[in-house]
Amino acid sequence: MLRYILLIIILLPKDILSQNILIKNGTILTVTNGVKENTDVLIINGKIAKIDINLNAPDGTRIINANNQYVMPGIIDAHSHIALDVINEATSPVTAEVNVGDVLDPMDVAIYRALAGGVTISHAMHGSANAIGGQCETIKHRFGTTNPDDLRMQGAPRTIKFALGENPIRVHGEGSKISPNTRMGVEQIFRNAFSQAQIYMKEWDDYKKGINKTSPEYSLRNETIADILKGDIIIHCHSYRADEILMLMRVLKDFGIKKICFQHVNEGFKVAPELAAFGASASVFADWWAYKFEVYYSTAFNAAILTRNGVVTSINSDSEELIRHLYHEAAKTQRYGNLTDDEALALITINPAKQLGIDNRVGSIEVGKDGDIAIFSQHPLSIFTIPQMTIVDGIVKFDIKNDDADMRIDINPNETYSSFYENQRHHESQGCMHGLEELLMEDSYAKFMRYKYSKNHSH
Amino acid sequence: MDTKRFVFILSCFIYCFVGESVINAQNSDAPKPLSNTHYIKNCFLVKQPGVILSGQNIIIKDGFISDIGPNLKIPYDAQILVADSMYVYAGFIDGYSNTGITKPEQKDRPKISDPGNPPNDIAGITPQILSDENYKPNEKSVTDMRTAGFGLSHVAPRGMMLPGQSSIFLLGEGNTDEMILKSGYAQNFQFETTRGVYPSTLIGIMAKLRDLYHNATIAGQHEEKFLKNPIGLARPNYNKELKSLYPITTKKQPLYIVAQKTKDVHKALLLKDELGFELVLTEVKQGWHYIEQIKQQNIPVFLSLDLPGQDKKTPEKDGKEGEKKDSLKTEIKEVKKENIDPEKKDYDAKKAAVVKEYLAQAANFEKNGINFGFSFLNSKASDIKKTIKKLIDNGLSENGALGALTTNPAKILGLSHLLGTVEKGKIANLTITDKSYFDEKSVIKFVFVDGKKYDYSEKPRKQKDGKTDHKMIGLWSYEVEIPGASRKGKINIKKDGSDFKITVKDDTSSNEDIATDINVDGSKLSFSIMASLSTPMKVDFSLEFDDKNYTGNVNVASFGTFPIKGGYDGDPKLNF
Repeated sequence: MLRYILLIIILLPKDILSQNILIKNGTILTVTNGVKENTDVLIINGKIAKIDINLNAPDGTRIINANNQYVMPGIIDAHSHIALDVINEATSPVTAEVNVGDVLDPMDVAIYRALAGGVTISHAMHGSANAIGGQCETIKHRFGTTNPDDLRMQGAPRTIKFALGENPIRVHGEGSKISPNTRMGVEQIFRNAFSQAQIYMKEWDDYKKGINKTSPEYSLRNETIADILKGDIIIHCHSYRADEILMLMRVLKDFGIKKICFQHVNEGFKVAPELAAFGASASVFADWWAYKFEVYYSTAFNAAILTRNGVVTSINSDSEELIRHLYHEAAKTQRYGNLTDDEALALITINPAKQLGIDNRVGSIEVGKDGDIAIFSQHPLSIFTIPQMTIVDGIVKFDIKNDDADMRIDINPNETYSSFYENQRHHESQGCMHGLEELLMEDSYAKFMRYKYSKNHSH
Repeated sequence: MDTKRFVFILSCFIYCFVGESVINAQNSDAPKPLSNTHYIKNCFLVKQPGVILSGQNIIIKDGFISDIGPNLKIPYDAQILVADSMYVYAGFIDGYSNTGITKPEQKDRPKISDPGNPPNDIAGITPQILSDENYKPNEKSVTDMRTAGFGLSHVAPRGMMLPGQSSIFLLGEGNTDEMILKSGYAQNFQFETTRGVYPSTLIGIMAKLRDLYHNATIAGQHEEKFLKNPIGLARPNYNKELKSLYPITTKKQPLYIVAQKTKDVHKALLLKDELGFELVLTEVKQGWHYIEQIKQQNIPVFLSLDLPGQDKKTPEKDGKEGEKKDSLKTEIKEVKKENIDPEKKDYDAKKAAVVKEYLAQAANFEKNGINFGFSFLNSKASDIKKTIKKLIDNGLSENGALGALTTNPAKILGLSHLLGTVEKGKIANLTITDKSYFDEKSVIKFVFVDGKKYDYSEKPRKQKDGKTDHKMIGLWSYEVEIPGASRKGKINIKKDGSDFKITVKDDTSSNEDIATDINVDGSKLSFSIMASLSTPMKVDFSLEFDDKNYTGNVNVASFGTFPIKGGYDGDPKLNF
């Protein structure tokens, strides 16, 4: 028996072996169950086992003294593109079949930087080039591994990226001279795709029932859209304008689709009651707009208005820089909208968890939930707060007292200079439209030549 | 008597009609060998890794090893090769490369109206293509590999995501068909995409492969059903791409995946788990994170010989050039030393540790009992021995290295009964060295391919034909045709004693790039420069001169090959 147990332990990936941790005497911001002063949190085998005063720890437990410190659930970012090698497959307005889960990059140092901002989970998303983009992956920030599979949050519901407005129009209409060329065209892309998937499902049903003897063609694209129709995949839709948000809700209603989270949704404040009535959720920026024409009509009160109208709302980063201080972003809703501490913290914890369908496992400090914890020097909504420690599944992944200068895992052995700069170049454009610079260029050699010219001029 | 005369007359007739064309097909320079029988006398015979026999003789007859032993009767028609103190190995096997396949010229892509639905060939989906169609036995890469001791190559077509089916070739001279040992042996997949059309990214090709695989399975099953009983079934559509994929869905063909970096290996393993094909990992550079999985699932592996921390230039041949290069290097080093900052120092230490991991990979695989061969997609034939030496310095055993060159690839390719060891009855592919191959100073003296002898015992002297090469001396204009961005400049060719000195100056640049790897062959000239771009980029020129003009190709690392032409522009500038 002992040998058998040993074998199981050996077979477990090193990283999954979590330590037991007792966080002593912290101010616990549970998010769902108020604030508990001078309280201990015990994490056993990666799960929160007890929350109480004066807890005793079993032998071998790591004790973390959180005296005068604030303990909150690990922050969750519902919109991010870190840890991905590819963001857009921008060659077609519908690419439901692609999945960024295929190109996770566990070596991306942005994961560590996010951990240093208390973020334990992010929603690694496909970009917004296509009306129906690719499937996304909910990842846990288990930095330190080289195996992409270790990042996956096993059992998290499937999600997919949709996009409205200027991005799909610009890429496909203006770029490739195909549909969609207008906002109306974007709507028709959705309707066509859903209708085709319905026909596809019927063809396969007929084949399986024996009505047709000849097997239909397989289409991973239609399979995926069929799964959306069946309610197995949550839609996360890049959106700005109120009219388009209403449009998509009408389309979804026509096809009986219920699970939708609108991303960015800068004009969400105009249609907050409609969003609430539909049961749609919203993931917004705190105060970021005016970076393109359709994003001018915006307000920093957006999150507060949506929250008070009963829309499940989160604040996201969409950037590997913003992801490091989402607690600041959440705090802005107290300045712009007077949200309570719990409401503001919910924007970066339990609410994004709900939008990703993982709120039964993470997003608050409750017994039985994952041991994902962020510890701060002061209240996390204070501008003076500094993240101290971040724990994922009961493993300390960031500790400000033990913060190495160079946390990179994979170094390019052929690079002649520090690949830190290489990373910088890579990440400058790590956003929704990443990967399109090249696509939109007529001729890749032109780029190569421009490089040469610029080099010569600078000399 | 009558019959004999009849045969004689008949053969004269046959000769008249057929003979000429047969003769034309042969390489006219090579005289026909007197006999196909060879007798290798008194050698050290390395039968297989770890088994060395001394004082052995080998008889080769009609392409096969017909006998081995210390006391053999010399056949009356044998050519005798006195191999006193020489080592005879089984001919080395190249597990995966594009040997013999010329790089296609860069063509302008036809305009695609819908980038989401490109034709299969433009999307890089050409599983129906066989490498037989493009293999050229006289290509330089074939002679280079043979010179490096290789008698057999597993050759994949060049291309993108699904470049086509690979075949196994004997690296001899002759026509392509004669050299094929196994046509259409494997299907191939690589993480290479065509820009601007679907699938244009890694996520795109992963999805596309899944889609194609499922459809090939369905179509294959449908076709089988239809052949048995067509009643009530639709007539199968003919789809050459899907049809070429049936054999991987039924495991009749393995699928080779080019998986260089750790994440590529992960993706390849993921696809295998999901789809269930027979996987072979190839050109693996960074696969050590998945050793356990590879071992458990018994997946064959070819490790890349393109390793980091290598000096990519060819080894200096004469002392003069070498000294100069060295002094240049030390100069650069001295300048750098002054500016070294602690961050750079830490980085260098970290990088050195990473390079070490790459170099120790082969040893690591050996320790774990994984059978692996070597692949040569990105490495130069002339560097192979040096690179293997590096692997040995980093823990690989000599027997392990020899196994990776002979027995292991033979086994993975399913050819153990024909090749891989020196045994009676096997194909006469042999590599003969003057010392143990792993001795730093060893030289390959002879290579037998398919029973035919190739003699390298006298080093070919550099061709220094004064009559042709003086015509190359001068200042030449050049124009490189790159679609939408042609380049112009000057090439200065002069002679310093017996050595060429070549510099290249682009019209837009104030720098001159000094050429290395200069080779003259008749009216052909090839050389390389490191163009000073944001990251220095290797540019290979190969030119053919015709009086006052020349034409040729320029190959820019990873960007492709472009045509170049130019004309004589006066005497060379001497003060370059």
